[in-house]
Amino acid sequence: MKILLVDDEQKFINMLAKRLALRGIEADTAYTGEDALKKASDTVYDVAVLDIKMPGISGIQLKKKLCSLHTNLKFIFVTGHGAVERSEDEDSEKDIYLSKPLDIGFLIETIEELTQAG
Amino acid sequence: MLKIFPDFLKSLRPEFHQHRKNVHLDSFFTFTNYRYLWFMSIFILALTALSPICIATLIYYQLIETSVDSDLNHRTKQLTAAAKSAVTFFMEERLNALTFTVNENGYEQLADNARLSEILNNLKLGFGGVTDLSVLDAGGNQVAYAGPFNLEGKNYKNQSWFEQSLKKMNYISEVFTGYRGVPHIIIAVRSAKTDGSFFILRATLDTERLMQTLSSYKTGDYADIFLVNHEGVLQTPSMHYGSIFTPTNLIFPTDSDEIEVREISLKGKYIISGHSFISRDLTSTPFVLMVLKEKAGMLKFWQDMSFKFNWIMGVSVIIIVIVITFASTFMVNKLYRADRAKAETMMQMEQSQQLASIGQLAAGVAHEINNPLAVINQTAGYMKDLFTFKDQTRNDDELAEYIDSILDAVDRCGTITRQLLGFVRQFDVKIKKVNLQKLISQVLSFHKKEAEYRRIHVTVSIPDIFPDLETDSSKLQQVLVNLINNAFQAVEEGNCLDIIASQIDTNTIELVIHDTGCGIPEENLKKIHEPFFSTKQNGSGTGLGLSITYGLIKKLGGRISVQSTEGVGTSFTIILPVKIKEGRIA
Repeated sequence: MKILLVDDEQKFINMLAKRLALRGIEADTAYTGEDALKKASDTVYDVAVLDIKMPGISGIQLKKKLCSLHTNLKFIFVTGHGAVERSEDEDSEKDIYLSKPLDIGFLIETIEELTQAG
Repeated sequence: MLKIFPDFLKSLRPEFHQHRKNVHLDSFFTFTNYRYLWFMSIFILALTALSPICIATLIYYQLIETSVDSDLNHRTKQLTAAAKSAVTFFMEERLNALTFTVNENGYEQLADNARLSEILNNLKLGFGGVTDLSVLDAGGNQVAYAGPFNLEGKNYKNQSWFEQSLKKMNYISEVFTGYRGVPHIIIAVRSAKTDGSFFILRATLDTERLMQTLSSYKTGDYADIFLVNHEGVLQTPSMHYGSIFTPTNLIFPTDSDEIEVREISLKGKYIISGHSFISRDLTSTPFVLMVLKEKAGMLKFWQDMSFKFNWIMGVSVIIIVIVITFASTFMVNKLYRADRAKAETMMQMEQSQQLASIGQLAAGVAHEINNPLAVINQTAGYMKDLFTFKDQTRNDDELAEYIDSILDAVDRCGTITRQLLGFVRQFDVKIKKVNLQKLISQVLSFHKKEAEYRRIHVTVSIPDIFPDLETDSSKLQQVLVNLINNAFQAVEEGNCLDIIASQIDTNTIELVIHDTGCGIPEENLKKIHEPFFSTKQNGSGTGLGLSITYGLIKKLGGRISVQSTEGVGTSFTIILPVKIKEGRIA
């Protein structure tokens, strides 16, 4: 199982990647949407964890672009807002929205549910 | 009854008299001077209601005066004509009787004293008022005499009346006293003797009879009828001018038989005067008949009526003014109550909007804090993982680095919370020195991330030498928050937001907040400062932000204007005093 973590908060996703690695989940990090697209073009991921508000390409826009590359890719959105801004896509109901700060156990459970449902 | 009167007075007293000064609340009132409004309302209504009454009254008085004058003139003329007719008849009757006597008897019979006495008795019986009779020859010698006085043998050659009698066929004298010292009139008729010479038959008339004739025409206390000669000397007593032979200042410009009526002023009284020369067909008399009527006396009826009319008018005017005052008080009270209710609502709305602004900021701050908290969370979690998954000790450099990372994140949270607290605290502060650069930076700091995310180019341009403002920082801050929030909502990705401050003069500064956003449609430009006007959809805007901003700028002693072109951008220009006037802020 391979995860793509995308957030402009570098320390946040670096830590998250390290913690996932400790739990046996391989995770790549990208700090911008463009970086994420570049990595996704080289590697096939099972789940993408995206921040909604990012400089340049937003999380919602990035999802659309990643979907065109990998149709089976599952998405988890992370946001600093208390209330979650949902995407207006038809598939948005399948997306998972989590708010910061994240509980690692809950994140891993969510990832596993998504991949098993897959 | 005693209780009703104070209640009535109270109902005339408008409510704004009890208004307690509250500068903050008063700034939301639409009308600032209710006293002026009340007075103007009473004045205009009174003017509208009373003008027609006053004009109608004036016209009424004018018409009454004109018709009364005309009536008085007519009545005076009629009285003068009647009295003139009586006096003329009095003179004519006696002169004709004398002429008849001369023609009937001839000189020989008239020169006989016995016959003359007989004739005198007949004249007294027939006409009355004849005192004596005498016959004079051409030399002025009295040839015969009949009467109560012993005047036989007198010569009248040098007397004026004799000279006049010689020139004319007949003659009527003025009133004079003569030898007897008694006022009388002489009537003389000249006739020829059989030898060609002539003689004069003279009669003395008693003026008492003439005065009785005149008195019979006097109607009421305000009429005066008397005779004067052509020089204005009284020939009979006058109520206004005094006893007989008193000179008057009456002047008669025309020697006409017509009756003239005019208005004169005598001893401060207005008098209608009618006069006419007394003349006969063949000879004129020296008399002018005068009829004087006091206008005041004749106007008494009209004056009594006017007095009652004035009373009714006065009471009506007082009632109208009271009703108008009552109506004005009622209307102004309604207006005042509505205005006060609106002002109170606006004040509450302003407070609500202040709270809403704080809420908006709090939401932004929470978002900003959540990111570093997420880092702290993950870092701390990872540290825990290290202890769980690896056997590492306290001297581990990596561990120290992660702890630093946590501290850094905590520091960031601290900065943000301090900014938030600093921002909230300033809502309590009144007038103080404000550095505009710092205030703008503070407000913009809450939009920093959003500007980065949406690539909005924010520029702040303030001259190096720029005065600190002495103003209410919380109100100015709220203005900036409102306008900058609006600008961020109006702009799209890649747009610009420019904040430019400049000093106009030593007392005034200008602040322009310009964005290259969607702009405001022309039809909405006039409405944007109205309360509850909002174009934001789904009820996301209260419609109070700009309304309150306009109110706040007014309170800060400034003014605000907006220029906007749809699709190009919007500029809000604020003019503010460097130092706010004392007592302006609530």
